[in-house]
Amino acid sequence: MIRTVIGALLLFFGVITMVVATVGLFRFHYVLNRMQAAALIDTLGILSVLSGLIVLSGCTVLSAKMLLIILFLWLASPVTSHLIARAEVTLHPAIEEECEVIHDDGTI
Amino acid sequence: MNRFLDLFLMGCCVLLGIAILFCLIRAIRGPRFADRVMSINSIGTMIIAIMAILSVRLDAGYLIDISIAYALLSFIAVVVLVRLVLLHHGAEHSATPSPAGAADTPAAKTGAEAKQEPVTARETAVTKEEYNR
Repeated sequence: MIRTVIGALLLFFGVITMVVATVGLFRFHYVLNRMQAAALIDTLGILSVLSGLIVLSGCTVLSAKMLLIILFLWLASPVTSHLIARAEVTLHPAIEEECEVIHDDGTI
Repeated sequence: MNRFLDLFLMGCCVLLGIAILFCLIRAIRGPRFADRVMSINSIGTMIIAIMAILSVRLDAGYLIDISIAYALLSFIAVVVLVRLVLLHHGAEHSATPSPAGAADTPAAKTGAEAKQEPVTARETAVTKEEYNR
């Protein structure tokens, strides 16, 4: 009973995080800010959802696979965030108006 | 699994579905390329969450394997897409092609091909050095 309540609370927190991050996708004005909101979904949102489901389903093979998904997403989503930010900085013609860019050789 | 938990899980799926719809609006409306790629990635992660909830609710263990494969696919898709666009952008905005036998080609292993490269504008979007990198 108490396990169900904890699992449901964690799951609900995760779903609320994802909804709030989607609201944040519409409220920010710059692309790099919106990327910060989207990174919430990949890390905090999926961690809470899958943790809640692990608590709900107990000690099974399903929980081990969900742990694997959490591990993979926590390792892979910083890479995708970095790549998308690099693409945005390279493709934007007037990036210096929005933020300060530090180039590869260290100059600003 | 009692009735309340069943309804609660279904409600979470519906909420995530609505959030996916809004992410799709951002993917269509987004003025920049990075907007679209980022929202497709987020849609993929929310789909993983929905599949995990469904696998607990329907007591089906195989649905979580599909979500593992989907996580890998979405990561690879973003990496390939961004790399392709950056290569195309780099090829369009690079300097004019140097004359045959130039000494300032960056890749040493394609020195022989650089000597025979024509001086006219190239037709493909990606040069040979960048493709072989």
